[in-house]
Amino acid sequence: MAEVLAAEEISKTYGEGSSATQALASVSFGIEAGEFASLVGQSGSGKSTLLNLLGLLDSPTRGRVLVGEEDTTRLNRRQRARLRGDTIGFVFQFHHLLPEFSVAENMQMPLRISGEKVGDAERERVREILSMLGLTGLEDKNANQLSGGQKQRVAVGRALMKGPAIVLADEPTGNLDTSNTEAVYRLFREINEEQGTGFLIVTHDREVAEMTDRILEVRDGELVQDVRNGHI
Amino acid sequence: MLALSIAARFLRSSLGQTILIIAGIGVGIAVQIFVGSLITSLQADLVDSTVGSSPHITLLPDDDSRLSASLVETALEQPEVTAAIPVRRTSGLFVDADESFPLTVTGGAPDEIDAVYGLAERIVSGEFSLDDGQILVGAGFADDTGLTAGDDIALVLPDGREGDFTVAGVFDLGAAAANDRLAFTDAGSVGDALGLSEDEYSAIEIQVDDVFASTEVAGRLDAEGVTVVDWQAENQELLSGLAAQSGSSLMIQAFVLVAVALGIASTLAISAVQKTRQIGILKAMGMTDAAAGRIFLLQALILGVTGVAIGILLGYFLIWGFSFAPVDFSVRPSFTSILVSAAIGVAVALASSVIPSRSTSKLDPIEVIQGG
Repeated sequence: MAEVLAAEEISKTYGEGSSATQALASVSFGIEAGEFASLVGQSGSGKSTLLNLLGLLDSPTRGRVLVGEEDTTRLNRRQRARLRGDTIGFVFQFHHLLPEFSVAENMQMPLRISGEKVGDAERERVREILSMLGLTGLEDKNANQLSGGQKQRVAVGRALMKGPAIVLADEPTGNLDTSNTEAVYRLFREINEEQGTGFLIVTHDREVAEMTDRILEVRDGELVQDVRNGHI
Repeated sequence: MLALSIAARFLRSSLGQTILIIAGIGVGIAVQIFVGSLITSLQADLVDSTVGSSPHITLLPDDDSRLSASLVETALEQPEVTAAIPVRRTSGLFVDADESFPLTVTGGAPDEIDAVYGLAERIVSGEFSLDDGQILVGAGFADDTGLTAGDDIALVLPDGREGDFTVAGVFDLGAAAANDRLAFTDAGSVGDALGLSEDEYSAIEIQVDDVFASTEVAGRLDAEGVTVVDWQAENQELLSGLAAQSGSSLMIQAFVLVAVALGIASTLAISAVQKTRQIGILKAMGMTDAAAGRIFLLQALILGVTGVAIGILLGYFLIWGFSFAPVDFSVRPSFTSILVSAAIGVAVALASSVIPSRSTSKLDPIEVIQGG
């Protein structure tokens, strides 16, 4: 299967000279379309750095990140922003909804950022996604009026609005209680199976990682494990 | 446009802050407009009361010779000249018991005198008439001497003879010196007193459309045998007073603008900090640096335009309110100062957004999303 996202020998060093710190050393792997993978590692292992690089939020010091067939090394900030908006969905530990906007407006934001018109079809898509997320009827509520779990589910819905090839989720349930955590992972799995959206979920919780089809482990900036089918 | 709707939402989400800063801009612009209009009206009023009803340029013979009325034609050829009249001037002394009152008597045709002095509208008692032997005197002179319209008056002329006149009316030119010292009569009476023939005059009095153009016009009328008297050369103190007044009003306006600019800049800077998280996530979702920077530029534009609009209304309200003040001149809105204030207000608002716009466009989304 074609890879939707690939890291080729990527390294990341912060600082220069004697104060230089290597956060990531020559990491290579690819995520295929429709894959449901997790990235585990201790705090400070370099997993967030890796996710930022894969999500085109940062550039590697060496190596290259491929989005589909496209080499992102030579893209400027503007081009990377466009490509990021068009192909990658993000879910963060914090929901990062805009409190100034309604639930529906928050979900439509990725479309509006890329200059797409929001018409009846898009509004219908908002309703569909909300219904899938178990949030039917909340589209006109202000984002601030929702509970923590609801907000995080809206953030997931926002990441899905443009039908991204892959969703990068950075500790997406870090702020949620156990029942909400389970609900969010069930949701990820459903979306993955029903819509074929790829997922790469960063977590420090091995139990959560066990629920995915592939576990990548980063330790001290190196990829030390890459195990498929959930069996290490 | 997404940046505009985000800018509007950001402003609406901090409504109290937004209303305060718009009020601040509004008050600043209103002060600008009011002070600008006040100074313009005050100066126009001062200039008008100084030279509004008197000649702006006077042509006099160099020596005791006389002027020909042909100079009137030359003066009227100048495009700025609105009136040019030949007059005969002499001095006269009114003696009443122990007191004597000197007068400068100007003789001329009634319609011509009216063209320069606007006397017909300034008669406070009696009537505007300059038939043979009639004289118009100022309100100050009339008060001092107790003379009223219809009274006979004898003036001692420079050659020692006495001239007899009848007071036709009393005028008020709005300036004490003019009301005390000026008198107008028919051309023939003064001509007889001075021994002038039909085409001989003692002065040509000229008015121009823009009083500050008088110096230039005066320069063009300068000819041999003629002394040109320009009101501006005669009123240097008034003019330097006006210049000082304009200077201090500009300084007040400049400081008001600085205060407005600081207000907008600090509001936007606070807003930029408050909205860092939102900007970060928008960028993570693919918003470009330029579009993110535009959000604060547009916030500044919304604040500036709304503030200026409110400022203009408030400015008009202040000017209207001033019409009830117990002063004898009115403030007219100066459109130049309104336009200039509005343009500067919006420009200042935009300039104040440069720093927050720049810091927003430089913001790295990683800083925000990792901060949680």
